[in-house]
Parts: sequence; C-alpha cells; structure tokens
Amino acid sequence: MFVKKGIVVAVSTALALGAGSALAETVIKFRFNDSEREEMRAALDEFESANPDIKVELQTISWKDARDQFLREAAVGQGPDVVHIAFVWTQEMAEAEVVMPIEELVQYGEFANGFDDFIATDLTEYEGKAYGVPWSADTWAMVYRTDVLESAGVDGLPTNWSELKAASTEVKEKTGKSGFAFAAANQIWFPVNYYLWSNGAGFVVEDGNGGYKIGVSQAQLADAMDYFKSFITDGEAPESIVTIDQPHDPTLMQALLDGNQAAALMPTNTFRQLLSAYEEANPGKPVPFASGPMMAGTGEPQTHLGGRTLVVNDSTKNPEAAWKLVQFLTSAELFEKYYTNQFPAQKSLLAQIDYRPEESGFADQLANHTRTWGAYAQSNAQMGQLWNTTSRAFSTALSGQKSSEEAAAELLSELERMLGN
Amino acid sequence: MRLSPGARERLTIFWMLFPTFLVIVGFYIYPTLYNLELSFTDITLLKLRKGGDWVGLANYWEFLRSSSFFDIALNTVFWLTAVSVTCRMILGLLFALLLNASFLKRMKLSTLARLILLVPWATPPVVAVIAWRWMFDPTHGAINSWLLSTGLISDPIAFVSNLSTVWPAINTIIVWNTTPLVAISLLAALQTVPQELNEAASIDGATKFQEFRFITLPYLIPTLSVLTLMSVIWTFNNFVYVWLATGAGPGTFTNVLATEVYLKAFVDLRIGYSAAIGVTMAVVMALFGALYFRLFGVGDMQEKVG
Repeated sequence: MFVKKGIVVAVSTALALGAGSALAETVIKFRFNDSEREEMRAALDEFESANPDIKVELQTISWKDARDQFLREAAVGQGPDVVHIAFVWTQEMAEAEVVMPIEELVQYGEFANGFDDFIATDLTEYEGKAYGVPWSADTWAMVYRTDVLESAGVDGLPTNWSELKAASTEVKEKTGKSGFAFAAANQIWFPVNYYLWSNGAGFVVEDGNGGYKIGVSQAQLADAMDYFKSFITDGEAPESIVTIDQPHDPTLMQALLDGNQAAALMPTNTFRQLLSAYEEANPGKPVPFASGPMMAGTGEPQTHLGGRTLVVNDSTKNPEAAWKLVQFLTSAELFEKYYTNQFPAQKSLLAQIDYRPEESGFADQLANHTRTWGAYAQSNAQMGQLWNTTSRAFSTALSGQKSSEEAAAELLSELERMLGN
Repeated sequence: MRLSPGARERLTIFWMLFPTFLVIVGFYIYPTLYNLELSFTDITLLKLRKGGDWVGLANYWEFLRSSSFFDIALNTVFWLTAVSVTCRMILGLLFALLLNASFLKRMKLSTLARLILLVPWATPPVVAVIAWRWMFDPTHGAINSWLLSTGLISDPIAFVSNLSTVWPAINTIIVWNTTPLVAISLLAALQTVPQELNEAASIDGATKFQEFRFITLPYLIPTLSVLTLMSVIWTFNNFVYVWLATGAGPGTFTNVLATEVYLKAFVDLRIGYSAAIGVTMAVVMALFGALYFRLFGVGDMQEKVG
C-alpha cells in the first residue's frame, strides 16, 4: 500500500516538475560557425544565468556549408532560431524570405547605442528593410614572418604587388623557403578582388545610369590570373595551394608557424589565432610576425569591409528569446571576455580596441583602406554565385587546367549571364 | 457480393503487397517524379518557398550544350568509372585467388589474410579519404617522405593538386577502399568450383593457366558480371570520393556528374538545373543497365543472381 502510494506521489511530483520546467523554459538554437566554440559556450552559460527561463543550444556547421544548410532548413520551416552568417548572405536570406526583418524584432528591445551604431548596415538591407544585425567586422591584411624576410635580405615590408613578387622571389632564391603563399581555391576571391580594385577594376561596377556592368576586361582578368599563378610556377608557393580553400588551412598556418613561409594574407581572426598558436608553442619568445596593409596597384590598396551578421529565423517560435540572445551577443562584454579574436561591428566598440603592435597592419587597413562590396551586393548577380564562379575560374587557370585567356573569357561570359546582360 | 476464390486470392495478395507498394511510392517513385518536375523549372535555393517557373527542357539543353559537358562526361565515364571498376575487378580477382591459394591454408594464414583484406572495406569512405589525403600531403605525407628518402623523387609531389597525378590519386583511394568487397565475393564464388574438375584437368596435363581459363573462370563469370554491374552503377553515381578528395578541383579538373549536381544545387543554388543533371544520370544508368542485361541475357542474369 505504502509502495503504491509512494509511486503515485513520485510520478505526480515528477510530472508536476516536468510540466513546470517545460512551461518556464524556452529552448532556442544558436548556430555559430567560428572556431571559438568553447568560448561561445561559456558566454552562453552566462547568458543563461542572466536569463534562467531561456536555454540556448549551440550548433556548429562549417562555413562552407552554412549558407546552403540554413536555406534548405528554413525553406521548410526548420533550422536554428539565431544564425551566424556572412555579411554578404543577408540579402540573399531576405530575398528567400527565411529571416525576420529587424523592425519586427526591435519591439522586444532596442540596442544600447541604436542600430545606426553598427557598420555596413547597407549589406543587411533588402527592399528598404534591414534583416540582420552586423556582429563582427573584419578585413584582410598582409602577414609577414619578419625573420624569414630578414634572412632573405628583404628590407621593409612590400607596399605594392610588384614589390610583393620581388620579395617573394628573393625569399625563394636566398632561403629556399616559400615566399608568398595563399589559399588559391575558394577564397582566392579575396586577393583577386584586392588586386583588381587596387588597379582600378572590379567585377561589378555602376554603369552611371542606375544599373550595373562588368568592370573588368578579359586582359585585366588574364593579367590577374597570371600574376597569382606566377607564385606557383616560379616555385615560390607550394603547388598544393590550388586545392586549399581557406587561409587557416593547416598547410599554410603550419608553414608560417615553422618559419617556412615569408608572407600570406588573411583575415583578422586568423592572424590572432596564428599569434596565439605561436605564443603557445614558443612561450616567452619574441613574436616574429608583423602585419601590413594590402598591396597597392596603380591606385590605393583596398580590401573589403567584411564580417558576420546575426539573423533571426523567420520560422522561430521564440522571437523574443532569440532577440534577447542577439542583444547579448552584440554586447561589449562578449567581445571583451569571450569573442576576443573578433572585432565588433559597432562604431562605438571599434573605437575602443587596443591593437597589439603586430596588428598595426590590420588597424591601418580597417581604418583607412576598406570598402564595402557596394555594386556587387546591389546588382542582380548573387554575391555567393559571383564568388564561387570567380574562384573556380581562377582555380582552373592557376592549376594549369586552362590558359589564363581561356579562363578569363569563360569567366566574363558567366559574369554577363549573372548580371542578366 | 461474394468473390470467387481466385478473386479473393488476388485481393489477399494485393493487400499483402500494398504496404510495400506504399513504401516504394513514398520513398522512390514520389521523389523521382518530384525531381523530374523540378528539372523542368528554374527553381533555386533562394526561391524554394516561392517555387520556380516552368522552363521546359531548357535546363537539359543548357547542360548538354555547356562547354564543360564533355569534360564532366569524360571524367565520370572514363576516369571515375571505367578505370576504377577495371582496377577493382582485376585486383579483386587476384586477391581472391591469393586468398584461395593452398599455400596460405598450409601456413594457416587464410583467416589472418582475410581479416587484413577486410580492413580497408571496413573503413568508412570519409575516413579513408582523409587518411589518404594526409598520406598524399606534399609536406607531411608518408608517401612523399618515403619517395624522397629513397631518392625516387627530388621534390615532393602535390598528388591531389597536380593535374597529372590527381586522378590516379583519387582512383587509388577508391580501389583501396572498395576492392575487398569484390575479393571476398569472388572468394566465395571460387569455393564453389569443384576441386575434382581441377584434379581431372591436372591429370590430363592441363597447365595452371588452362585450369584457370577453362574451369575456374567460367564459374566466376556470373559473380563477376553482377559485381561489375553493381560497381559501375555505384561508382558512376558516387559523390563522396571525388568531393572529399579534391572538391572537384583543382579548378574543375576532376568534376564528375555527381559533384556537378552538388555544385549546381548547393554552390550555385540552381536546384532545377541540378535536378536535370540528376535525371540525365538516372537515364544513362537505366540505359546502361538495359544494355548490360541484353548483352548477358535476362534469363541468364536471373540465373546468375538467383
């Protein structure tokens, strides 16, 4: 009898507790794709302590698959509540109707310094509405292994593409090490654009009549292909870079850490990870790295103002909790304590950053030599498709699969199709 | 209304088969028809909610006329399928004969040899590709280290980045991972060959090659033909090895039909166009299957399978 009664009480209590916690607790999913997963989990623990009625499930997916995976899920009403995406995907997500407009979310709370405090908000706008919150800002700059440059007798850092090539050749000839190496598959998109921009060209430019046109000739494209290919054919970069997608690929990072490569280009967070890895492996030793602005061409050096955006899934059942999380993730505290490899995408927070001496190139680049994607993002061409098509075309030329002229002609014809001309 | 015994029997059969029929419709026929429908539209990943517009055969026409079509077809048919299936069959047969050899039995090594052979097959393809990529690595890879240390090469080879070595590298991974299945299947077939036939042939003065050619091989042909058919279909549609090893690169040098489906659908976001390539692949394989059955004879094949 006692046993029976005990079971009834226990079951009732468990059901009551379960029902109570189910009522009190909102579970939201946050998809975060950077490598600082542990730090982010610690930050979310703090968020959960401050908001005991909200639990956050952290998901991670590789950046390479992040855009397509979310589009597939969101199209059928699934997917995480808050998603970490690239700046340039926001308009595509808005066009696909899978993310919530910010104006519907601000009813749950405003940002401390308002939405205008964020940079690059134009990239989050689609048909007059903002659909994402710029979260982290970054750009790319040059990174050098100063001891390798010194041993090759290269004085000072190169400032233009010709000097970079000369320094790279010098390193190879004097030391036998790699000069300038880069990810030549998917992310060759970035150096190629920097090369074209600094030489007055660009894949998409305004046509002066409110439309857009291709801003690069076949000869300019072939020249850019030949320039980057020369590092491989002259033996200054390993042949394996033609299948390397990311600047943080172990092959490139290890060569820099081991002092087997003199120069590279990379985003801010990758450089910070490189510095940490070196310091961890060589405690107390001076850091033999320096950063410098991107190369100049016939004009000023220019890189893109890039970064990450936070968006809220249009199918979320918990928009208020999702928005609370977005507000927490954009707080100064998060960047100070947890997300320290990244720069915040808020003007007020960017002004407070203390750069390390090795990061002076990134500071200079970010402050003086960046531009947004502008016409690229505003034209008919989808940024993602433009990026992938360009990278594939350059990769076919750099690998020797096609001649530069042939690859450039095919790329131009694809660009015409994408722009709808 | 009373049904005749024959009608009742047919009705019973119908109801017993109905769940299976539903499963086939739900998991095979519906997706196939849906894919066919998508292939006639311009739907993209960005328009999944809105739906695409009807474009008729435009996707098929664009694919068949594209400048990359010939390269992709050649890569798929020759490099991916013909080369790897041929290597697999020949090596599988050699391993099966080796495992069936009497000297292994005498040395009590048969079981150990079979276990060793099964290791590559038990390795998941993803793991196999990653492991081989590391071995092929020009800086830290074991293969380059060995080639350099023996003086066979003076500079490391970027196996998966160099145009002349990338296909042999991919095929090495595929053959390593999949040959054991062929070998084990052929070993099972080998064990059905009556030993008295070999003994009789030997007494009559037949050489070892003649024994293999006129006794063993005819017994293996049914198994070999089924394995070839399955291997061709499986390899032709395979995505994993090429994608994980090279991402269809360098450039688009190792792009095959399966990777083109992925690239068009999930990189360029053109779901409709990608569906058209998928349908084309299915048609090609259906035609190949029909031709293969015709060459070997349907009745003969049923006998071989069953």
